[in-house]
Order: sequence, then C-alpha cells, then structure tokens
Amino acid sequence: MSLDHNRDCIEVLIEKARGGQINRRTFLQAMGLMAAVPLAMRSGISWSADKPLVVVNWGGDALNAFRSAWTDNFSKATGIPVRIDGAGPTEGAVRSQLASGKPSWDVVDVESYSALVLGREKILQPLDYNVIKRDQVAPALASDHGIASYQFSYVMAWDSEKFGDNGPKTWADFWNVEKFPGKRTMYKWMNGMLEAALLADGVPADQLYPLDVPRALKKIDEIKPHVLSFWSSGAESQQLMIEGEVAVGAIWHTRAKLLAEDSDNRVRWSYDNGFINSSSWAVLQGNPGGSAPAMQFIQQALQPEGQLKLFELLGNGPSNSATEKLMNAEQLAANCASPENLKKQIALNAQWYADNYAGALEQYLTRLSK
Amino acid sequence: MTLTATLTKPQPRTAKGSPRLERGLLLFPLPVLLLVFYVLPFLGVVGWSFSLPEPGIEQYQRIASDPAIHEMLWRTMRLCLTVSGLALLIGYLLAYCWVFSPPFWQRVVEICIFIPFWISVLVRAFGWLIALRSNGVLNEGLLGLGLIDHPLQLSRNEIGVVIGMLHVMIPYAVFPLLSSMRQLDQRVLMASRGLGAGALRTFWQVLLPQTLPGLLGAFIMVFVFCLGFFITPVLLGGGQTVMIAEYVFLQMFQTSNWGLGAALSVVLLALVSALIWVLMRITRVNRLVG
Repeated sequence: MSLDHNRDCIEVLIEKARGGQINRRTFLQAMGLMAAVPLAMRSGISWSADKPLVVVNWGGDALNAFRSAWTDNFSKATGIPVRIDGAGPTEGAVRSQLASGKPSWDVVDVESYSALVLGREKILQPLDYNVIKRDQVAPALASDHGIASYQFSYVMAWDSEKFGDNGPKTWADFWNVEKFPGKRTMYKWMNGMLEAALLADGVPADQLYPLDVPRALKKIDEIKPHVLSFWSSGAESQQLMIEGEVAVGAIWHTRAKLLAEDSDNRVRWSYDNGFINSSSWAVLQGNPGGSAPAMQFIQQALQPEGQLKLFELLGNGPSNSATEKLMNAEQLAANCASPENLKKQIALNAQWYADNYAGALEQYLTRLSK
Repeated sequence: MTLTATLTKPQPRTAKGSPRLERGLLLFPLPVLLLVFYVLPFLGVVGWSFSLPEPGIEQYQRIASDPAIHEMLWRTMRLCLTVSGLALLIGYLLAYCWVFSPPFWQRVVEICIFIPFWISVLVRAFGWLIALRSNGVLNEGLLGLGLIDHPLQLSRNEIGVVIGMLHVMIPYAVFPLLSSMRQLDQRVLMASRGLGAGALRTFWQVLLPQTLPGLLGAFIMVFVFCLGFFITPVLLGGGQTVMIAEYVFLQMFQTSNWGLGAALSVVLLALVSALIWVLMRITRVNRLVG
C-alpha cells in the first residue's frame, strides 16, 4: 500500500466518521489497522454526540443542497454528525413523532404557520434565543417556536409562445380567460390561492386578512373550469408549464426560475403580485439529539455564507438579510427577499394560516373536486 | 389473501391423514402476524376515532352529516364501481382467451397481463400521464389520423383516474376468473353447442352460471383494492379527484385532524367487511368453488 493511498484511506475514514456513517468503535478499529491512532486522536471528532442530529426537510434536490449549505459545515465545526431525512415534516408527521412517545427527529423545516400551530400544542420546544440570535431575521419571521430558514414566493408564470411579450401580470389577468385564453394551474394545498382569488375579485392588497374564504372560493369556482390541474409537487408544476399544457400558472418562484432557464425564456415570470412566504426551523419536544446541539445547528444555519449557498443551489431567498451583502447585482435581482422584490410582493400571513388553514383547506379541496 | 386461497385452491380433501398439531403449527404465524401488526394497531386507530380531539362520537356524526364527505364517499364509490365493472368485463374476455385460445395466443395474453402487472403503480401512472395528456401520444395520433379535431381531455380528471386504475386492476380480475374457467369441464360447452344452443345461449346458460363464483370473487378483489387507491388518482386526477385514501391522508398529515381520519378508516373497513360478508353469503362462494 503506498503512503498516499494510506493517507487517503485515513481521510475517507475521518470523513465517514464525521458524517456519522461509521461509529466510534469502527473508526478506532480501522484507524488502528491503518496505524494511525494518534491521527485519530487529533481528528477533532467529538464522540460526545454519538447520535447524529436528524434534520428533516422535504426531500428532492433540497437533500443535497441542505447538506452543502448547512450540515457539512456544522459537522466540521462541532463534530456532531447530521443526518438529513427528506420525509416531509407535515404537521401530522411531526405530531406522530411525539405521539409515538419516542421522537426520532431533531430539527424540522416546517411551514411557518405549522411552527405556530405545533408550538401552541407544545409539540415543539421553545427556541433558545440566547443561542439563536433572533434579530438576524426580520421580526415577522421569528416566533417563540420557529425562526425562518429561508423564504420563497408563489408567483405567476406564463407562456410567451401564447401571449407574446404582453403576458398576464395581475391576478385579475390570471382570471381573465378572454384576454389570456388557455389552461391554468394552481396550488393544490391552497397557500396563496385564496389571496390570489380575492385580489382578482378586487380586494385591496392591504385588506386581504382576515381572508374572506367564501368569497375567495366563489371566485375560484369561476376559474376552475380553466384549471387543467391543481399541482401538488414542484416537479408537477414545472412539467405542466414546460410541456405547454398550461398557459399560465401560479407556482413557486424557484420552479419559475428553472422554467425560464430551461425554456430559453419561453416561460416568463416576475415577482409582481407574488406571495412571499417563509419556511421555519423548529425543534421537537424531547428531541433525541438534545436541545443544545439543535439550537446550535439553527444558529449556524442562519449564517449568511450557508444561506447564500442555499440560494445559489435552489434559489430559496435567505431569511438573514445580511446575506444580501454577499450577493452581486444579478443575485440581488433574483432574490425573492431583497428589498426591491419584497416591495412587489405580498407576505402570506402565518398567523391567519395557523388559525384557519385546516378548515379552509378542506373547503377548498371540496370545491376543487366538484 | 386468504380469500384468494379459498377461491382459487380447491379445499384439500386429505384432512383425515394430516396431524392436526402439525397443521396448527404451520398456520400459527399467520394469525399472530395479523394480530400483532394489523389488529392491535387498528384498535389504536379505532380508539383515536372515539377520542380525538375530544372523547365522543363527534367524528362519526360529522361523517353522517357533512355533505362534503358524502360527496367524496360517493365519488369513491362511483369510480370504484366503474373500474370494477370495466375490469370484470375486460378480465372476462382476457381470461376466456387465455383458457380457450390456441397456445400461441395464450402466451400473448399471458405476456400482456404479466408484464404490466410487474411494473410499479407509480411508473404506470406517469406512463399514462404522458400517453393521455393533451399533447401526448394518443391525442397526437388521433389528431394526425384526422379522427378528432381538438385534443380529448383524457387525463387530469376522472377519466384519467379510471383508465389508470383499470390498467392496474385488470390482472386482479383475470386471475380468479381464470381459475374458475380452468375448472370448467370444457365438454359441457361442447355438449351445449352439440345440443343446438347458439353461442349466446351457451354463454348465458352454461358458461356464465358456471363462472359466476369466479366473477364475484374477482369483483370483491378488484373493488376492495380500488377503495384503497392513492397514487393513481393523485397523479392522474389533476388534483381534483380526491378519493377516500387521499382524504384520510389529508386528515392525518395536512390538516392533522386524526380523529376524522381514523373514523373514516373505521367506516371504510366496516363497509368492506360488510360487502365481503354479504357477497359470500349470497353466493356461498366457498361451496361453489370448493
């Protein structure tokens, strides 16, 4: 065995140990075989947290993006291995973790209104704002049990092959099938869609909340015959637009951005009249990895460098506005959370969703199925 | 699965010689498995349905009175009955070809049934989505042939769901029918023709009555499976065809109203059990097949 290869094997072992792929015993045994025990001692791997911290997100591309933006650095800095689980922390899934009596998740990336609901029911533990610096995010983005991890927007995207340069711009345009003929797609899980309906129905943007659900649903009845599909995954929305199956869509800005790139700007979009929303970090009550490492992880994930990385990988807007200082002009223009773009959008009201989502969603889905 | 076993396999008639104990030991793991991994957890679900969010029968009252839930249940029934009816019809024809055709065509039917049977339901739903969409293979083909002048809306609605489910369900209709046709003494059919009955009369008076148990068995299999469909309606229904399985998912995960989700599961199980019991009673499936 050459010396270089030996060194490489040791590196691999250290990496694996840091990533939590092998345990302490295996690591030390292997290092013993490589005659590298002193190196093992100096590797700085802390075995106090033999258990990895389990961070749960929504899977897909976000699995790798989270790893390179956040967890790799965190493990390097603290020696605590992190495992990312893309199971999707819906309210019900988080609740079932607690109901099982022995949660296996530590940190979850939940909808910000879910953080309010689950916090209210003591399924989440209060965040330790001595460790996490609350003022890193705008006041509206932090609550007792959740702090924004990143931001994203529900925007209107349209097919320029069908409308030339003058595509629909307002939600009234979205509803106007005479002027902008063609199929639509909207979000199946409702966020932003009632707001869009009310704006189209003439409600001023500053008077949206509390949402008038019956009025919004009545407006949705109008557009429903023209909605080809209510998408429930980002990939589905992208598919509908790229294939030209729909002419206009209310979709996530991250997907709109990909669509514009993939279609050479055939699919166009803007932040105008978009609905900006945040996702939140939260920690389960009695999480297996312990409170302190979880809080440490969240604080680390709010640092601008990692937030910029996530933006570059997925297009998610940073929750810590200090990240904007690291951005170039082009990135600032593309960032849903930059002051310029915030002005164009309407913020979804997490408190309204926390109080009304379940009931309104049921009514909404009933209407869709008619 | 016990159902298929009783339907397709003749009862062993050698019970006299086999030691009871040995048989008991061999059968022992199955009920234990069912008890530990199905019955006990399900009792927990029954418990939720009476205790969440508050103790009482509130959730059942809601199921009995909420028009939105009735509509969802009706949609589920309507789609399941449509799919079952069509699956039985197509399955009957396929089973007939499988049993009574020359060997070459038997192989063709076999391959056409088994290959899709082994492909994942998810992949098949995506496949249908691509084939059925407005600019998909089927519509483009029909437009090209000049048979239609604008694309048919074949997916992202109930039609798409029926097509997708039907494709999955046909083999489940074929297998019980196949076994009841194989058990049929083919000379009976020849005798019927020989005695002067036409093809139709032979079908109505000889073939159909003889294969009725298989038909009912196939119906139970297909209908019960249909009730639990999740992925196919989600993908092919355009988000607008919520059936009971997705509705329960919605209550469990999206709105986390566990009480209602649990109560609906209990109602579903009760419905399925009642249906199977009634059908077994009226047809005495066991005796006819055995």
